[in-house]
Amino acid sequence: MMNARHTTIVAGLLLVGGVLPSAHAEMMHHQGMMMDATGMIMNANPDRLPRDCPQISETVELTIRAGHEHAKKFPGKMFAYDRQEWKVKPCAKINITFINDDHVRHQMMIHGLPGYLYPEGMLHLELFGHGQLKASLILPSRKKTYLVHCELPQHQEKGMKAQLKVDGGDGDLPSIPGLTEPVRADMYPVDWNRQHIGMVLFSILIGTLAPFLFRLKKK
Amino acid sequence: MIPKKRYLLIALVAALAGTAWWLAPSVLEKGDALAPATVYTRSAETGGTEKPCPNEHPEWRQAQTIDGVSIDEALSCDPDNPYDIAAAVKGTNNVSMATLMQTRMAQDAVVKKDDLDHDGDPDVIDIKLEVVELNGASPDGEFLINTFDIAPGIRPGLWVFAPKSQGMALKNFFTMQANPILRAPSPTIRVEEGDKVTVTLENIHYLPHTIHLHGVDHPFMTAAGEDNDGMEEHAVFPGSSHTYEMKPRHAGTMLYHCHVQTAQHMMMGLSGIFVVEENKPNNWVQTFNIGAGQVRHPSVKVKEDYSREFDLLYQSLDKKLSAIIQNANDVRLIAKRMSREYNITESHENYFLLNGHSFPYTVRDGLIAAGENEKVKLRIANAQRSPMALHIHGHKVTVTATDGAERPEVARETRDVLDIAPAQRLDVDLLTVNDGLHSYGPGVWMFHDHASNGETTDGMEPGGNISLLGYQAYLDAQGMPKMHGEMLDVVFDKNYYAKNQPPWAQGDFTEMLGEPGRIAPNVLKLVAFGLASGAALGFLVYLIFTGYRRRQ
Repeated sequence: MMNARHTTIVAGLLLVGGVLPSAHAEMMHHQGMMMDATGMIMNANPDRLPRDCPQISETVELTIRAGHEHAKKFPGKMFAYDRQEWKVKPCAKINITFINDDHVRHQMMIHGLPGYLYPEGMLHLELFGHGQLKASLILPSRKKTYLVHCELPQHQEKGMKAQLKVDGGDGDLPSIPGLTEPVRADMYPVDWNRQHIGMVLFSILIGTLAPFLFRLKKK
Repeated sequence: MIPKKRYLLIALVAALAGTAWWLAPSVLEKGDALAPATVYTRSAETGGTEKPCPNEHPEWRQAQTIDGVSIDEALSCDPDNPYDIAAAVKGTNNVSMATLMQTRMAQDAVVKKDDLDHDGDPDVIDIKLEVVELNGASPDGEFLINTFDIAPGIRPGLWVFAPKSQGMALKNFFTMQANPILRAPSPTIRVEEGDKVTVTLENIHYLPHTIHLHGVDHPFMTAAGEDNDGMEEHAVFPGSSHTYEMKPRHAGTMLYHCHVQTAQHMMMGLSGIFVVEENKPNNWVQTFNIGAGQVRHPSVKVKEDYSREFDLLYQSLDKKLSAIIQNANDVRLIAKRMSREYNITESHENYFLLNGHSFPYTVRDGLIAAGENEKVKLRIANAQRSPMALHIHGHKVTVTATDGAERPEVARETRDVLDIAPAQRLDVDLLTVNDGLHSYGPGVWMFHDHASNGETTDGMEPGGNISLLGYQAYLDAQGMPKMHGEMLDVVFDKNYYAKNQPPWAQGDFTEMLGEPGRIAPNVLKLVAFGLASGAALGFLVYLIFTGYRRRQ
């Protein structure tokens, strides 16, 4: 009846059970979802090692800010994170501090994670308004580029898209503001002026005369 | 070459050119005594058709109680999610977490508290709305995201107010469809007379918007001295929020809409019904009616007088305006095209929506389903750009209130065409009493805008805001009208609205009213044309070439 994710949410809730009102304080060591009045965390993983990682290679403290002001440096965009790319070592543990500088909802989702640690292959952080939350994850050893985005309607599309590279990553994702080209680029008029047109006409004239100049030389 | 031979060659070139001219193929040709045969275009094989009723949640139809909230039966194919209703009645803060998780609403989407007048219902109501773009563009490819089909295969770019939600905006991981609470139209909002209401706009969209409480009693300024009328110059910019306050003293059917570039923003879908219900004891009203349509938890006063209640919101869209958000991702380009290049005085309405859908989707959830001898309340709002003339087949209805103000008994009109100016609202009594005046008896009766643009989807009929008033005896177990199977099979097909299919090619008339075929090209004629024109060209070149050599 409901989709798979709902089942995950409900399962997570059952686990979290009575600690919901103070979930923020209790966010560590729970699987599934945690939620309070300010935000929600799904599938945080502070301590379970991926199968291919004998130990944590490095612990990275990442502060990720989200909001419209971070899009100011990208013409034509409206929402963005403060950075568009992060690089970590294989088997790194990341302690994320996610800060929302806006006064509306924002999310930070990381996709493509191993499903046995992160149901649906996803870490999902969401702030219901201005504020911050903390969550951790441990990445596998594979050389890979992970999609980081806000899934709110038109947020990724209008700039809230980034990538997380493990071991240098396995390529770049498209349409990351300032970093990679969009698949479907917008069209803008070219700023031609009289000089440009004059240059083109003059070049055509020279080109037309070329065979005659060549013939003159031959004689 | 001697000159005489040259003249002969010139004559030959002329003759060949003439022949080519005479044989030239054309796009259109006259039919013979027997016109080209009918071709088969029904697209059942190409997968354009869909089930008239997907019947996704049959268990949602029955009357039920969730978290102590009684929810009336809904007979239609696509009933509202009863958990959404329970959360909208009790408040997202009061409902159980298990119920909230069956909705997509945020915990603070509608917060209800404090029974100020001690009459058994909460009187402080805090509502949060977001602006959501449906059928929007993506820089990641040629596809639309957060899709919402208004009719088979029709996805115009749309904006709606939606209850503040949480989690994924897509329905699931395997689709680009928006989740079910992100849909047109903006939900009907219901509060009780005298409630202390706040409506907070949390603008998650990339353009500025406001909420104007059209007809709802509200002070000009908030207690803090800020804008409270949703005026253009006090727009709520992307990433910000603003709270509007009111304590409505007068009950009635009102409206809310965005008042930033109203001409464009209302035509993009930013309007909804706002109902103030009479203050009664134990009156827990259904604060959100997502998708409008049947009110499955009517107010105490409505329940006293009526057997069922329906919210009917009419909207129209211009396909050129809607396409602007689908053709660019740069927000400056979108803003420029929408504000300065689009000209509403040179525009057309192409799509006509009843509760966010056009026919035949209106049959799934915009159906008025009722039994015999019932008194049904309709709250009708026209949020279109153009006036409408709403006609209900087989019935004459009585207008009891206009623009949220009750009409005195003597001034009430009973009519079968209701003229509704843009932004006007009517409260209407519909009697299903077979007396030859109010009803001509049970059936599946159409109702639609009789200003005929409204019956079409981009000119294709039947479409637009056509819907049905179905008596229970004429509806099947899935809420679909009996006796209309064949017609529904034709229109539940995106090829029909893409105008690829003749409308009446059924049964005996499959051939007679089918798609006229094309004339088969005459291959001999084509070859002869090619030879003649080629030879003419060849001899011409030969003439020029030999002429040049001779002169040298």
